[in-house]
Amino acid sequence: MTIFEKQGGIMGLFPFIFALIVGLTGPRNVKVLDKPNDDGSAVIIEWDSASVTPAVKMISIYKIPEEMWGHGSIKVVDLLSRNTFRYVDTQVKPGKRYYYYVRFWGEGDYIDSKIVGPVVPKAEWFHKERLPMLVVLLIYGGLLAYFLKRIRKGEEVYIRPIAGLQAIDDAVGRSTEMGQPVLFILGLGYINDIATLAALSILQRVAKKTAEYESELIVPCFDPVVMTAAQEMVRSGCFEAGRPDLYNQKKVFFLTNDQFGYAAGVDGIMMRERPGAIFLMGLFFAESLILAETGHSVGAIQISGTTSITQLPFFIAATDYTLIGEEMYAASAYLSKDLHQLSTIKAEDMMKGIILATITIGVVLETILTLLGKPIPNYIKQFLEGGLWK
Amino acid sequence: MKREIPMIITFVSGMAIIIALFVPHPPFGRVEETFNNWYIIISGFTMILGLNSLLGHNLDKVKRKAEGWPYSLTLILSFFITLIWGIVSTIRTGHIFASTSTFRNYYYTYVFVPLQSTMFALLAFFIASAAYRAFRARTVNATLLLVTASIIMLTQVPKGETVMAPVLGVAALLAVWKLMSEFESAASWTAGLPYLLLSIAIVAVYLPIVEVLRTQTTAVNDWIMNVLQMGAKRGIWLGIALGGIAMGLRIIFGIEKSYLT
Repeated sequence: MTIFEKQGGIMGLFPFIFALIVGLTGPRNVKVLDKPNDDGSAVIIEWDSASVTPAVKMISIYKIPEEMWGHGSIKVVDLLSRNTFRYVDTQVKPGKRYYYYVRFWGEGDYIDSKIVGPVVPKAEWFHKERLPMLVVLLIYGGLLAYFLKRIRKGEEVYIRPIAGLQAIDDAVGRSTEMGQPVLFILGLGYINDIATLAALSILQRVAKKTAEYESELIVPCFDPVVMTAAQEMVRSGCFEAGRPDLYNQKKVFFLTNDQFGYAAGVDGIMMRERPGAIFLMGLFFAESLILAETGHSVGAIQISGTTSITQLPFFIAATDYTLIGEEMYAASAYLSKDLHQLSTIKAEDMMKGIILATITIGVVLETILTLLGKPIPNYIKQFLEGGLWK
Repeated sequence: MKREIPMIITFVSGMAIIIALFVPHPPFGRVEETFNNWYIIISGFTMILGLNSLLGHNLDKVKRKAEGWPYSLTLILSFFITLIWGIVSTIRTGHIFASTSTFRNYYYTYVFVPLQSTMFALLAFFIASAAYRAFRARTVNATLLLVTASIIMLTQVPKGETVMAPVLGVAALLAVWKLMSEFESAASWTAGLPYLLLSIAIVAVYLPIVEVLRTQTTAVNDWIMNVLQMGAKRGIWLGIALGGIAMGLRIIFGIEKSYLT
């Protein structure tokens, strides 16, 4: 099909002729490719950036599905910026044939590219760029199986003491002695955040301890799903302590879904209730320091833990103990002393050792080769970027 | 079965997500999206539980005239004012944030946003008080933190390079004065020797260091941020990533069951 046919005869040629007069040149080297590593629902359309002259104001893309061949085209996208050289069409079906052309718009005039294609989007069975991830996961799975086997043979596992977790009992005890409640803040995370799951495990332990000491536990929540889970955790903690009568559902309550509203609400609770111990566990954002400093001002012992790397310095500065990143994830294994759980931490440490050794070897090799003035083989880099299969 | 069924559901869902990560082909490719949609639907319903909890908790306080009950009353009134105003505005204008919506133009703009900004603004004061505590040079680590943070602050503020020499000069003088008083009060001459040597070292390196900082402000700042700070950050990231995988696998394979209460 020619541009002439596509534009509906001689009348359709006027904008095209006008475009040639004002110096608008057409898109060059237009390519259509099936998007790799997807479920066959996307096609990539690319064109040469050099063909976008200053006369080009906007860009449109048109698609001709096989069944519409000779019966016009579908506008895929209208008015792309002139700085765009690539577009991904996600409105395609796997196994069908598609043709495309790109239109450059000037001031009311336009010029089209040649029709390119066909392209057939295909669903793929393996995401090749994620092979390094799979390799790491398999090595990690292997290490996990190895340490589980060793533990089943009765081997002891040593995990270094984590001050923040050891201080939990002291904090609850201090609060009880002072006759003040314990406040547990789960942060702004949702139930699908691993940090929140880790925080819930710690909450269970704290709930058990507060029930043993007959102390009051207050848990204001940011998300209703997390609130429901937190209520279950506190109830289970009270049951484990043999004091189900001490479980009070009203003390684990929903506060608000708004970040600073939550901070204001929790600050208010701190000022009114004057808790003796405050736990800040989970995902935190800009409100972290507002909470931690208010907690400090009421004289509470504070134990914090988060995986939000930008909030860690604030917690380290403002609270008494901080669980840094992975220490939080290790908390439930550490507190339960369950050997199977501890074996996963052992595997994690071993994996970390392997990664650090790989980084060190890479740095040393690259330094030596640079000093010797020899080219650096890029296989590892390509492997990590998935480039070997691109 | 009360424990087994949730564990089976967790295992199947977890494995489906892991498979979907590596297999884009249908039906696996869209598993995560589907699960997320399910989660959004479920969490929408749990908002009813949340509201029940919030209103129940505060109504109870008002009824019992518990300590601080006026706050609870304020919350309940604010809740219903927001709800009713929002619904009326939506019915009148078609969208709660339409340009003619009174909810947006009065309530949101003049109540909600200023309240949020007020809370956020408190952060500046809290940063100052937390920094004061963190930067007290009581230990070697705290001193290192103080020195590094001072350099970063001086290299990032306007005219930082101009005030750098006098500010660091005063800091060096104070440090030397403190070290010399430690030297004087030391039990013996040998015990105080490290303080003396450190004082001499500070005096000796002060001028070259200030000169480097003054002339290479951007380079020093970049080095601290991109090498020292980024190295530490990446170490923590690595731990978080591996810890997350470990926790995920523990839950998927039923090694960790704390969520099954």
